[in-house]
Amino acid sequence: MMAARIENAEPLERAAPAAPIIDIKGLGKTFTLDTGPVVALEKVDLTIHKGEFISFVGPSGCGKSTLLNMVAGLLPATEGEATLDGRAVTEPSRQVGFMFQTAVLLPWRTVEENVLMPAEVFGTRTEATRQKARAVLQAVGLGDFMNAYPRQLSGGMQQRVSLARTLTYEPDVLLMDEPFGALDEFTREAMNLELMRIAQAAGITVLFVTHNITEAVFMADRVVVMTPRPGKVSGVVDVDLPRPRAIDQMQSQTFTDLIFKVRGILGHGQGSHA
Amino acid sequence: MAKAVTLDAEPVKAASPYKSSQQELRYKLYTLAIVVVILAAWELAPRFGLVSAIILPSFSAVVGALVSLIQQDFFLRHFSVTLTEILIGFVLGTSIGLALGIALAVWPTAKRIAYPFVVGFQAIPKIVFAPLFIAWFGFGMSSKVVMAVVISFFPVLINTLVGLESVPEDARKLMRSIKATPLQTFRKVSLPHALPIIFAGVKAALTFAVIGAIVGEFVGSSEGLGYLVELYKNQLRIDRVFSVIVILAAIGAGGYFLLEWLDRKLIFWRTDTQGK
Repeated sequence: MMAARIENAEPLERAAPAAPIIDIKGLGKTFTLDTGPVVALEKVDLTIHKGEFISFVGPSGCGKSTLLNMVAGLLPATEGEATLDGRAVTEPSRQVGFMFQTAVLLPWRTVEENVLMPAEVFGTRTEATRQKARAVLQAVGLGDFMNAYPRQLSGGMQQRVSLARTLTYEPDVLLMDEPFGALDEFTREAMNLELMRIAQAAGITVLFVTHNITEAVFMADRVVVMTPRPGKVSGVVDVDLPRPRAIDQMQSQTFTDLIFKVRGILGHGQGSHA
Repeated sequence: MAKAVTLDAEPVKAASPYKSSQQELRYKLYTLAIVVVILAAWELAPRFGLVSAIILPSFSAVVGALVSLIQQDFFLRHFSVTLTEILIGFVLGTSIGLALGIALAVWPTAKRIAYPFVVGFQAIPKIVFAPLFIAWFGFGMSSKVVMAVVISFFPVLINTLVGLESVPEDARKLMRSIKATPLQTFRKVSLPHALPIIFAGVKAALTFAVIGAIVGEFVGSSEGLGYLVELYKNQLRIDRVFSVIVILAAIGAGGYFLLEWLDRKLIFWRTDTQGK
């Protein structure tokens, strides 16, 4: 399992034929409405290896959030299945952390208390967990804000708390549903770099949903491109950019080519913000 | 209100405290000025014969009547009877409203079945029950307590239900993603989230409990402040009627400010200062 540790600059899935941590086989979702069945997501097949960073990009209605929710065990699939470490996903798992577009903090709790909330639910709130929470908050740059209340923080800082809350219980997989979608461009970039650094250091597998093509390409080992009506996977783009990634890589020809490749799959005239 | 789960909140606005407190002081002066004008009109109108002093005794006459009323031996008995009715009615009404609100919120089937009754009951002007309660529970305090309960539980029930149902979808999803039990979700997320809304209902319940007790006493009683109002009206001692009204207003206001204080202590994270 530790084979997925990153010592060199090789893209991960090439570094070693690591064991698949998530295997998606013929996973689909059809909603039954009064007007008849609506296909939210056509059958998807995708194998994700441990430590990989996968972006899912596409306009609204392409089924990317639906896919993420099914992998999280928050939404039952109508076809196929997703497996996590070889076991079929039927319910949420504590091996998996979920992050939303909003930070979803409890306003009556301090930053530290918010981060410790999952530990309370797990029944693992000990002094060791507390130390862990403090270390994680330090790592995301909130060491001075442990006793602050959420309303005293900016949107970016709140999202850091949300990230710290997830990282504190050490998930193997991080599922992120447009986590930085509500942030300004500068904050978003800083968060992108920080997330990659943390995920890489901890060997966390990340499934990252976004409608921002640049962000999707910049962060991922592979970009899964999705299109709507009906929601489906239209292509997968490998991103052969060395890690750790830096902002100036965005100027490279490879990066520009990748952006156009994704745009091409999305179809002509489709902007990055649907 | 539904924003208790903070989205993208801006850092707390640091408005100049000097300017705002000056503004605050000016508003307070305006309020005070209006009070002075009303009291002056009240004092002068009967004195200059604009209205009969029997119908509207002057402000100073009411103050005099109030002072003499408080000194009467029987006053304390009537006062404590009404206060007891209000307090028991308020506590019971709030508890029942809270319990029913929680039950309907956490048990969707119960809500489906019971909601039409709740709405139907809400449509009835509950004061019409007062004569019935006198017939059922007698002239004593219990009929007034029942009246206070019946009209005060409703705002608590509705606000509890609305508050618990307004928990943001993402917060529920977060709790599901960490496999929290329904009880954990209720205690850690739903109840604190609903608390500001529940508290608004509790404040309304206190006002309603006062109304319930007094209406009950109007309809049939031999003691209490509502009884005194009836008695003095029949004796045409309007100055004393006003005195009792002042006392009732003081009870209502005192209770309200107590709840307001408790609200601020309990719900310290509230971002708006309005209370509702």
